[in-house]
Amino acid sequence: MHDVDDQLRELLPRLRRFAASLTRDHSSADDLVQSCLEKALSAWDSKRPDGDLRAWLFSILYRQFLDAHRRSRRYSRMLEFFTGTQDDHHAPSAERTIVAQTTLQAFDSLSTEQRALLLAVSVEGLSYKEVAQVLNVPIGTVMSRLSRARQALRLLSEGQITPPALRILK
Amino acid sequence: MITLPPSEHNLQAYVDGQLDEADQATMETFLATNPALMRQVRQWQQDAKLLRAGLSGDLQRAPNPQLDPAAVRQGIARQRARHFATAAVLLIAVSLGGVSGWQARNMTLSRANPPMADAVQAYRLFAGNAEMVSDWNATKTTDVQGWLDTHFARANRLPDLESAGFQPVSGRLTTTEQGPAAMVVYKDEQGRTLSFYIRPPGELNNLLPRGTRRDGNLQADYWSGSGYNYAVVGPADDPAAQAARRAL
Repeated sequence: MHDVDDQLRELLPRLRRFAASLTRDHSSADDLVQSCLEKALSAWDSKRPDGDLRAWLFSILYRQFLDAHRRSRRYSRMLEFFTGTQDDHHAPSAERTIVAQTTLQAFDSLSTEQRALLLAVSVEGLSYKEVAQVLNVPIGTVMSRLSRARQALRLLSEGQITPPALRILK
Repeated sequence: MITLPPSEHNLQAYVDGQLDEADQATMETFLATNPALMRQVRQWQQDAKLLRAGLSGDLQRAPNPQLDPAAVRQGIARQRARHFATAAVLLIAVSLGGVSGWQARNMTLSRANPPMADAVQAYRLFAGNAEMVSDWNATKTTDVQGWLDTHFARANRLPDLESAGFQPVSGRLTTTEQGPAAMVVYKDEQGRTLSFYIRPPGELNNLLPRGTRRDGNLQADYWSGSGYNYAVVGPADDPAAQAARRAL
């Protein structure tokens, strides 16, 4: 039991970072981590696979983010309908280091899945197989999407295309 | 083993260091002769490095005590307790509803179908009516018990109400929902009537605890025994009838 808690404690900073990269907001990122941990602890005995714990937790967190995101998007669309305003701007976090500011800004402009993909592969160094598990897509899809995400990040960093052009059409 | 020129997938795997050593070497040799591709690969690697550096700050955030596994566990336990309590309250509410609904149903039913109502009906119909044709009467034979036994085997004996002045005078068979029934009418010298009524308990085997109830100006005393239900019906407030009831 305590052994489990220690393993989770050790992974907490990474989970929070992954969540923040998805939500682009620290407080909702922590909410996401909390619900991810609740889910993980409840399912620990029955569902916990033998593989990498980090990959398993990431996949829970990513799925919960998508569910919550879908819900909130439905809500904001409704809000938009009634108030006629749009609110999907996000300010880059001030807590981040100045280094690589351009790359980070470019990263923040990528789609959710591209952010999750690049973070899992380039930052966390998960294997393609584990990433496929996290994103719940086949491994071949991971690799072709990775290639597209890298190109998008590159182009955004060079300022060749502006973020609004990449906005996902609803 | 990778093939040259490398596929897009192999390039990505090279960027991420996910090729084995031999493939890594093959790729490097190939890239050395392809400066344009080399530049792209290096840029991707550089982006990854910048991303790692840029996001490393996020690992240093102040701990959030709410996210500690122990705290999360407590939260789950609290939530479970709450769910359990909600479920328990629901269960109690449903069972209370069910039990009281059943009670209400029983009360309504028993109000609609008071015990041995047919006995009281039969008394009203036959006992006061001297003209009524009877299946047995004291002028034919004196053996009323024998007459009854031919229709209701092994039933309780007819009550002896002699001490209160009541004698059996006539008997009548009738049919009820529960099966054949018989009523024996008793009279005393003042012409007061009491009836003894017997019938099977019916399909639901609805045996009765010994009881008394009043229906208008009549009183029915009822009980069960030897596989039949019985009732003695008579005027409620009559002292002679009360004396006969004490003899039951």
